[in-house]
Amino acid sequence: MTDVGRADRISVGVGAAVRAFLREPIQVAVLLALPLVVIEGYGYAMTAFPEFPFMEMNAETMGRLNGAIYAAAFLSGVMGLFQVISAVQADERLQLCGYSRAELFVTRLATVLAASLIVAAVSLAVLLWRVDVAVPTVVFLALTAAALVYGLLGMLVGAVLPRALEGSLVLVFLVDADDFLSSGMVEIDTRLVELFPLYHPHQVFQSAVDGSIATGDALVTGAYILCLLGVVAAVYVRVTGNGGVLRG
Amino acid sequence: MGSVARVSRAFEMGLREYARTPVLLALLLFLPVYFVGIFVYVLPASEMAITVPGDGQRVVATADLYGVLLIPLLAGLIGGIAGLFLMQAARDADGRLVLAGYHPAQVIAARIGLLVVASVVATAVGLAVLAVGYVPQSLAVFVAASVLAGLTYGLVGVLVGLVLGRLAGVYTMLFVPMFDVFFLQNPTVDDQLWLATYLPGHAVTELAVDAGFSGSVALDPFAQALAALAVVGTFATAAFYRTTRVR
Repeated sequence: MTDVGRADRISVGVGAAVRAFLREPIQVAVLLALPLVVIEGYGYAMTAFPEFPFMEMNAETMGRLNGAIYAAAFLSGVMGLFQVISAVQADERLQLCGYSRAELFVTRLATVLAASLIVAAVSLAVLLWRVDVAVPTVVFLALTAAALVYGLLGMLVGAVLPRALEGSLVLVFLVDADDFLSSGMVEIDTRLVELFPLYHPHQVFQSAVDGSIATGDALVTGAYILCLLGVVAAVYVRVTGNGGVLRG
Repeated sequence: MGSVARVSRAFEMGLREYARTPVLLALLLFLPVYFVGIFVYVLPASEMAITVPGDGQRVVATADLYGVLLIPLLAGLIGGIAGLFLMQAARDADGRLVLAGYHPAQVIAARIGLLVVASVVATAVGLAVLAVGYVPQSLAVFVAASVLAGLTYGLVGVLVGLVLGRLAGVYTMLFVPMFDVFFLQNPTVDDQLWLATYLPGHAVTELAVDAGFSGSVALDPFAQALAALAVVGTFATAAFYRTTRVR
């Protein structure tokens, strides 16, 4: 197969995934409404929260920032989950039709990346409405990174628990706890929190809102995404090679 | 078979179905530990001033306040999701039960009985986790308020189950009670949104906060909570009747 043919196949795959997403009105409604509801809701809720001495910004702004990360990570995570559920059902048949496993994997990844960019853009747009952001480009990249991390984790959740309801419930609470504990909203003595998926994206995000760039955290975030990519690739090969069953 | 026997048989079958749905059991056990663990045991020690309806202005520990708010929220979340699943199951099964000789009222009584059980169990599990750190002052009223929250949101879940599928419905029943009870009814917010007064969590949360921190509870919100339950219950009963109708 030529390179042009391969690129065409991948773009057809991504286009089909986007169309499948847009065909469900509830998914489009969630994509547009969730960032607004979560960002404004968290901000409103945090007005009631005491401002603890270790908080580095006012509680309302912190609520909105947490809401932005939550919306981006959760929506992308659900997209990653649905990609794997769909892959389990369809990708082995697509291989029989002539797609290579590498093409299918790149298609799934490209869809998750596209979803990450879209949810990061929607979250940033809502955030900019009420929060002054010093370096919007870096804030966008940090939101995209948070979304991508959970997009990949969503794919892993989908490999272990390939069911839409149960998998997305796991993601609701996983993202929520990670976002809450990684944000600096509560003082945690252990360095274990630095291993949480959203810890370093949060640092990059919060510092960019204030006007600085946390280069070290950005590098760790990049490394984290690369490691996750490797794990997701290995899991994808196992899932689509065994009739949808993850084997050790 | 007598009427009571029919209702209890349908109720028993409903309980078995609930027990056979792992996601409902997992939520019942996981949510109390998750919420109370995060908000009560991870929050740093601090105090907040709130207005307790039966006791005026009080300064309370932040963790205790969020613990008290979490129990009606948990009952609402679990009751709401149970209501949603009940409606989905009712679509498949209840029409056939009526065709087999059940009166719609018997089927509905069994379904609402299940919602009561789900609300009571959610309240009990939540309180058991909370009790490690804090016990509400007027325990009986607090339990009643939380069970009412579960039942009211359970009936809202029934209505949501009419219009939304399982996945979208579960998202709705996760986020709506959370925003209602935890954010909009939060007693530490100075200027409550106008919308807060009209939501199902308003009276039950006021009652729960009062019972949580006061020995002399103002009972006015009880009437409001029962009125809200009656309104939602009327719509939910009509919805159940619609699904059991034999065509």
